Amino acid sequence: MSVAKSKRLFAVIAMLTMLAMVVTACGGDNGADNGDGATGDLVEVKIGVSSPFTGDVAALGLGIRNGAQLAIEEVAPELEELGISLSMLAVDDAADPRTGVNAANQMVSDSAVVGIVGHLNSGVSIPASEVYNQAGVVQVSPASTNPALTLQGFENVFRVCTIDTVQGSFAAEYAYDELGLMSVAVIDDSTAYGEGLAAEFAAAFEAKGGEVVSTDKIQVKDVDFTALVTKINGASPDFIYFGGMYTEGALISKQAKEAGFEGPLMGGDGLYTQQFVDIAGAANAEGDFATSIGLPLSEQPKGQEFQAMFEERFPGETIEAYDTYGYDAAMVIIEAIKAVAADLGVDELTTVAGKQAIIEAVAATDFEGVTGAVAFDENGDTTNKAVTPYVVRDGAWISYTD
Amino acid sequence: MSVEFGIIGQQLVNGLTLGGMYALLALGYTLVYGILLMINFAHAEMFMFGAYVGLFTLQGLSRIEFFTSSGPALLLLYVLTFLIAMVVTGILGVIIERFAYRPLRHAPRLAPLISAIGVSLFLQNAALLWISSRSIPFPVLFEVRTFRIAGANISSMQILIIVTTILLMLVLDTFVSRTRLGRAMRATSQDRDAAGLMGVDINRVIALTFFIGPALGGAAGIFSGMYYGNIKYNMGFIPGIKSFTAAVIGGIGNLRGAMLGGFLLGLLESLAAAYISTGYKDVIAFAILIVVLIFKPGGLLGESVAEKV
Repeated sequence: MSVAKSKRLFAVIAMLTMLAMVVTACGGDNGADNGDGATGDLVEVKIGVSSPFTGDVAALGLGIRNGAQLAIEEVAPELEELGISLSMLAVDDAADPRTGVNAANQMVSDSAVVGIVGHLNSGVSIPASEVYNQAGVVQVSPASTNPALTLQGFENVFRVCTIDTVQGSFAAEYAYDELGLMSVAVIDDSTAYGEGLAAEFAAAFEAKGGEVVSTDKIQVKDVDFTALVTKINGASPDFIYFGGMYTEGALISKQAKEAGFEGPLMGGDGLYTQQFVDIAGAANAEGDFATSIGLPLSEQPKGQEFQAMFEERFPGETIEAYDTYGYDAAMVIIEAIKAVAADLGVDELTTVAGKQAIIEAVAATDFEGVTGAVAFDENGDTTNKAVTPYVVRDGAWISYTD
Repeated sequence: MSVEFGIIGQQLVNGLTLGGMYALLALGYTLVYGILLMINFAHAEMFMFGAYVGLFTLQGLSRIEFFTSSGPALLLLYVLTFLIAMVVTGILGVIIERFAYRPLRHAPRLAPLISAIGVSLFLQNAALLWISSRSIPFPVLFEVRTFRIAGANISSMQILIIVTTILLMLVLDTFVSRTRLGRAMRATSQDRDAAGLMGVDINRVIALTFFIGPALGGAAGIFSGMYYGNIKYNMGFIPGIKSFTAAVIGGIGNLRGAMLGGFLLGLLESLAAAYISTGYKDVIAFAILIVVLIFKPGGLLGESVAEKV
């Protein structure tokens, strides 16, 4: 190939690339602007939503997106009258810290994004929060429960879910006092969420007077835990506590029961999904416990209204653990947008000062959400400390109090 | 004391079960290397592909009432599932060889290696996009019983996996050492050109190799699905790396070496997890393997056996 020819080829490729970028950018904008057509008069404002939309925990992540979408669609007409065109920018984080940081950068590089609902995993939320902090954009996590997230000194980071300190000590008290279980083997999955939860649990359980016979770490994506559960079986504790997600938790439950372990497996909100039962097998999962943040949907103050709204908008889909949290997290940002629009005017919303004002407005949040009263303490953690125990009965999770 | 012995026994069975799956997969690496001196990195995806074909076959056939009506019918269902999945995975292996490797047979040795990595990525992403990005539960249609033997709890699934694995290996070993086709494989492995001149159809032998390896890898994938209860698009990656290691430890190119290496790696991993640390089990297992390779660079059976297959 001659030099001239290859130069021409390069030019063609460069042009095609640029064309492709323009086309995809248009595609993105179309999605955001549709419906009004009079964007010229309206100030374009976006809420970024990021959680895993693919991979093992996609069901939980898509639930968060559904919840946020419901909130945004619900208030869009009202905001339009104020001169704001509100839309959602949803980016997949694949439950992976690196992908999550890329998603964060992608969202904050769009100046119309004034707030973020995300992420699901603490291990993703923590590194991504640095990006939001530097960009001066508010982050409201619907589901990241590791205490460290809000202890970084970032004034822009909030969450509407109960933290692991509360969940871990609740689980310890519950197991010891209510279930009468005295000894435990603790396992965690070496992630920010799993490690944090298991450590909180173990400390609280020992403080109660319970015995921790062993602590072990596993790796996410491992599938063979037979050696570990055989070892645990030898020490015969009353139950196993697992800090981590259901993918590994279900396999530990299955392999432990098949190796002859007779006690239950207990864990946090990461286990509270039907997939846990499906993978472990109903017979193995029977009697396993999980604590999950907040109240069951039926007991949430506006749970039934949410359910009706959800079923109308997403017929055929099921409400997952964090849908209502995604909804409330989006509502927190929406309330702040309204407050700032009233104070500074709609044109200021997407400026640096406007985004700072939104952070301050979120800190002062006080309203009745689907999950209960939503307000934040000085760290940015929710003041709602409800935790509910669930148990597997006949192949499905039910609230233990039922 | 008997409790301790029981637990050690149970850990050994855990290790053998895991090792059996590694060994089946390792055979594919070693077979191809023996004949073509090529490392088939797409082989890990045969594990995944076999598991998916097995799942779909099982789901399809179990709709027919006859198969779930009685014990022997259920056994037939599983035998059929394995046969179909192994044959389909084997055919995929042959197709991959025909289109991704054969055109590169006389290219520099790095070319088929890169081609193999490409096929691996292609298959993994195809499963991700066309099937699901999530773990899919793998149903077990028979009751898994746990037997208590001398203080050890051993499940019927573990016994099934270990016994079937050993049976498959015996069949393969007999095939390679006793049959005409097996002799043709050994001849091709020793000197491809000379074997060709002696009237061995080289292409047929290579295609056969690419049928047997993936078929065994596919069977290992179904075992993994049955044993762990779920399958996923990237499930082949880690077992793939470990089985490749097992093949190298045993002496790559040597069939019995791959079997030995697989069982050894499974046992090492289980014992390291049980008695040292679950988090460091891979580190420990691989550290021991590195030490083995320092003292026996050709692998455990690599030097003592002259034939490569």
